[in-house]
Amino acid sequence: MQSERNVELTVTDDGHCIHFQAMASPCEVLIANSDGKLALTLGELVAKEVWRIEDKYSRYKPTSVCSVINESRGKAIAIDQETYLLLNFADTCYQLSEGVFDITSGVLRQVWQFDGSDNIPSVDAVKKVIANMGWHKVSFDEQQIVMPENMEIDFGGIGKEYAVDRAMIIANEFTDLPVLVNLGGDLAANKPRKDNVPWQVGIEHPGFIERKPMVVSLLQGALATSGDAKRFLLKDHVRYSHILNAKTGWPIEMAPRSITVVAPQCIQAGILATLALMQGEQAESFLTEQEIKFWAIR
Amino acid sequence: MQLKKKKPPVNLKAALTIAASALLGTIPKTVVAAENTTKSKKALKDSSWDFESALLFYSESDRVSAAEAILNGQKTFENDEVLNLKLTVDVLTGASANGAAAQPNVQTFTRPSGKGSYQTQVNETPLDDTFKDTRVQFNAQWTQPLAENYTGSAGVHISKEYDYLSLGINGNLAYDFNQKNSTFSVGLSYFQDTFEPEGGIPLAFASMPAAFGSTIDNSDKKADFNASRRTDSDDKSTADIMFGFTQVINRRMIMQFNYSYSKVDGYLNDPFKVLSLVDSTGIAQDYVYENRPDSRLKQSLYAQTKYHFEQNIIDVSYRYMWDDWELDSHTIDSKLRVPLSRQSYIEPHFRFYKQSAAQFYQPFLVELNTLPEFASADYRIGEMRAYTLGIKYGTTLSDGNNLSFRLEYYRQDPTDAGHKALGALSEVDLYESVNAIIAQVTYSF
Repeated sequence: MQSERNVELTVTDDGHCIHFQAMASPCEVLIANSDGKLALTLGELVAKEVWRIEDKYSRYKPTSVCSVINESRGKAIAIDQETYLLLNFADTCYQLSEGVFDITSGVLRQVWQFDGSDNIPSVDAVKKVIANMGWHKVSFDEQQIVMPENMEIDFGGIGKEYAVDRAMIIANEFTDLPVLVNLGGDLAANKPRKDNVPWQVGIEHPGFIERKPMVVSLLQGALATSGDAKRFLLKDHVRYSHILNAKTGWPIEMAPRSITVVAPQCIQAGILATLALMQGEQAESFLTEQEIKFWAIR
Repeated sequence: MQLKKKKPPVNLKAALTIAASALLGTIPKTVVAAENTTKSKKALKDSSWDFESALLFYSESDRVSAAEAILNGQKTFENDEVLNLKLTVDVLTGASANGAAAQPNVQTFTRPSGKGSYQTQVNETPLDDTFKDTRVQFNAQWTQPLAENYTGSAGVHISKEYDYLSLGINGNLAYDFNQKNSTFSVGLSYFQDTFEPEGGIPLAFASMPAAFGSTIDNSDKKADFNASRRTDSDDKSTADIMFGFTQVINRRMIMQFNYSYSKVDGYLNDPFKVLSLVDSTGIAQDYVYENRPDSRLKQSLYAQTKYHFEQNIIDVSYRYMWDDWELDSHTIDSKLRVPLSRQSYIEPHFRFYKQSAAQFYQPFLVELNTLPEFASADYRIGEMRAYTLGIKYGTTLSDGNNLSFRLEYYRQDPTDAGHKALGALSEVDLYESVNAIIAQVTYSF
């Protein structure tokens, strides 16, 4: 189903906000200016870019590059420069995490359904799925990608964050005004709202129904959140988080329910948050040692 | 129990910053450490040379064979300066058409040195089989950015053969604009060549003298031979100017256009080429050395397009060349690169060439006619067509180095531009085709 693709403009205290829907999330562009027409034009530009990336990389869209690769059955698929760069980034994350972060790990969904039940898959079932994983089995270069049959990739771990950064680039090309782009909680701002006045951002931690949105101040830079408190399995009093280790196919133990990280760019923040979650119990110390600003919820 | 090794978390942030800026095409201003890492990485890459070596074999059936070895080294320095050095060694052996026409009888020719002779059988194209030459060629080219959007390049060229020395210099200036999607370039080059052919330089239209031996007294013959020579050496100069324009059409397509103007002055004859002087029945009475003008003005227009399909890359070019010898030529060259896997490709190659004859070209001279001012029977400036059909296979080895093989068939078909073949000449093949095989191995490391 294609969600409605339109943008809505509202007036805020000191500027404008453009709302739209993309990547299954509410999205907004905040611009500190008084010219509504300019704000709307910018919002449309940003929304167009985000929709473009959604169409190109969503695994839910049958015509996306992602789907074409997933249906390639081992045949070489020609790719463009943008896709190459994204794959290259995913490759770096795979290397840096020593295989714990892997864009081919989506097939684990076949055995893990985090619906709050006690539906823990068998060791054999996980093993079977793991056979169809492993980024090292995928070969790619600037021209093409070759992925073995029965494997899948998805850009779920980096796509939205990438869209935030791309949107920011588009916004900066269009205007020097302060702009904040927020795609369902992953966001970036090009400069303070006013001189030394930060943006106030409400972070809705997905799944924490009882919790009030956390409000953070951001002068400039990006924020990304990883984790979802609602998605877990519970069996014999053991809580299985939905963060899966791509190397073992099993959930990371003792991981925080959610981590929000600050970084110069959204894609960095996103991957740092994900990598931190994968450290399990050491998630917070991992980020502290890196001197990275974060908020964690356990 | 195995202790969980804790990896040092250093550089994760920096590594991600680099990865993110590679992805987004931005330069991070905030992370200084990352910039340093990028720089040291680049410096590491810069300190090494890239080499390419190639071995080429060229063999014409019953004629010339050549073997060529090339070693090309390139080094990129920190500020995008590039030094390219290239060494080429060729060894040429075999026979080459001397210009005389085939005859219904055996023909005897004097070797260029005058010391000895060779014979050509009935109805066969006369080939001088004395060719043996080694050429050593060295090129050095320096390229560097001069200012924003301007790139300059300068180079030297030295080529030495047993009887030939060529010295050259060149300079090129390129200007990028339209966000580097367009490039305009202008280049100048100048070559100075000196010949010192075996046996000296023959006089224009001098009769080929008889050969002299070394054992018996041959002073008369030697005197005759010397009388047919004017000097031991001569030279020519070549000045070229070229204008180029390159345009990126889109992500998949690039086009290039060149115009070049070339002025050659000096000794432009081939000192080893003769023409048959025939009587009214087409039988050769004498062989006279050729004579070409002492200047040539060449111009050419060139267009090339490369188009990158989803997987394949097609490269097509066309060249039109014309000169004041009234020789004009058309060349169509096309290559299609087809990837076989991530590591290898094949590349079929087809080239078609067609030229008209130089105004003074003639396959033979007729005794009764007055001698023209200029004449040459060298088939290479006569009317002809040529075809190249080839295939190249390239692969990246497990160590990242590249290896490629090229095999090509090259055929030259000289054609009759309408010269009436007198008597016996109508019975022989005045325009014999030349077939050649080219094999090349290239290794880059």
